[in-house]
Amino acid sequence: MEKRRNHFRRIAGVLSLLGGLSSGGAAFGCDLPPGTRVESGRLAISYWTIPANIAVGKPFALELAACPKQSGVAMERVKFDARMPEHGHGMNYRTKVVSLGPGRFHSEGWLFHMPGRWEFVFDLGAERLTHSVQVE
Amino acid sequence: MIRFLLASLLLCSVAVQAQAPEYSEAETRAIVRHGPWPAPWSRDPSNRASGNPEAVELGERLFFDPRLSPSGKVLCATCHAPFRSWQDGRARAFGLAEVDRNTQGLLDVRYHRWFGWDGAGDSLWAQSVRPILEPREMGGSAAQVAALVRGDAELACRYRKVFGMPPPAADEAVLAGVGKALAAFQETLVSGRTPFDEFRDALAVGDLSSMKKYPEAAQRGLRIFVGRGNCSTCHFGPAFTNGEFHDTGVPFFIKGGVDPGRYAGIRKLRANPLNLLGGYNDDAGGESAIKTRQLAEEHRNFGEFKVPSLRNVAQTAPYMHNGSLATLAEVVRHYSEMDPDRLHADGEKLLKPLRLSAGESADLVAFLESLTEIASALPPRRPVQPCR
Repeated sequence: MEKRRNHFRRIAGVLSLLGGLSSGGAAFGCDLPPGTRVESGRLAISYWTIPANIAVGKPFALELAACPKQSGVAMERVKFDARMPEHGHGMNYRTKVVSLGPGRFHSEGWLFHMPGRWEFVFDLGAERLTHSVQVE
Repeated sequence: MIRFLLASLLLCSVAVQAQAPEYSEAETRAIVRHGPWPAPWSRDPSNRASGNPEAVELGERLFFDPRLSPSGKVLCATCHAPFRSWQDGRARAFGLAEVDRNTQGLLDVRYHRWFGWDGAGDSLWAQSVRPILEPREMGGSAAQVAALVRGDAELACRYRKVFGMPPPAADEAVLAGVGKALAAFQETLVSGRTPFDEFRDALAVGDLSSMKKYPEAAQRGLRIFVGRGNCSTCHFGPAFTNGEFHDTGVPFFIKGGVDPGRYAGIRKLRANPLNLLGGYNDDAGGESAIKTRQLAEEHRNFGEFKVPSLRNVAQTAPYMHNGSLATLAEVVRHYSEMDPDRLHADGEKLLKPLRLSAGESADLVAFLESLTEIASALPPRRPVQPCR
């Protein structure tokens, strides 16, 4: 009886570990570099701009590290953009994204031409993550 | 007695604060970001002649040389007259014939990202070549300009001093060099400080007595400019322009058609062999070409025109891309009473009629007039020695 109980405990432990892998990034080893962290149910990202402060009318680059929180998250099609929701327009430039290795990207062609709230839009495969910043 | 003196000092302080204009933190931040002036500048990496005094001298000579036009009658200064803030005072420019757009002044042009009302130039040097070749402006050609530079001992000598070699055999290469020298000269045309700059600097350090010297009407106009007018969203920063393009509801009909503005500007830019993606960019592989490479072409670009700088704006009438508004009061009325239906459906949501009262309109004009330089910052023209 005790043997059987231990067997069930072992199965429960394995199931619990599997559950952790599918729902929590940490279990998938999402040790992202420091930056602004944004998460969806399936993906965690960290991004940072170069230079760190975004100035109106000044070009900047952006780097992003992504980490799937579940298996089966593909990142083949990657597109980064930004928009001003209150103004109804985006940037006047299209960013170019270059892969730096698995889950790491460098992009250039960023320029926020107006002060106000800008929303970054990161499309990685089927996942879309957004993050708003106030630019002065 | 000491108590009496302290009380008097306190009363004086309260009285000064009551009279002094008060600005919110947000207003102060918005005003301060229109400076300092002059703004820092670094040489143009795409132009190896940028910042070179020899190139400035060659560029100045070329700027006032009518032989750049085969007619011998039109020079750069025909439309960019120094005594008119480097423009011509006409609604639409007239070189060999009348063109469709207003002449923009050249002061502070070194701070710009795109050049021309449609941004068809991605560098000041490429833009400087455009009117030389335009049939209605100077009507020249690369071959004619190259022959002039090669054949004129003075120009050829100066070209050699700037570029370290005689004018090359390729006409287009000489033309690009001429553009770079013209740009080096125009980069020196910086406007002087204005009453607004004095006020802005005083506000930045909380110098109330200096702030009070700025006329009250200009201060009220400034508040509209950075506040409910939303003007500073596009007329941003020390140069009062964000350097980009917007549809502001100015009609773009021209004789026999429409002026597509930025939409056609992007296409012209891409077709120009002198753009920053081409072989004449001295910053090959550098960052200067990123803006051109990553430029997006959108439907909304149709009818968009560049946001002009507002420094010395009172001296550069008439206004807008087609010179259709004669005075600053008319410009303010345009934004006060504009028809939002005239704007593209996919255009700015930012522009709405401001519905300013007569007093508010006058205040806004008073502010714009306070952007006029107190004294020219340009060095006096010095005699140029012959080239040896």
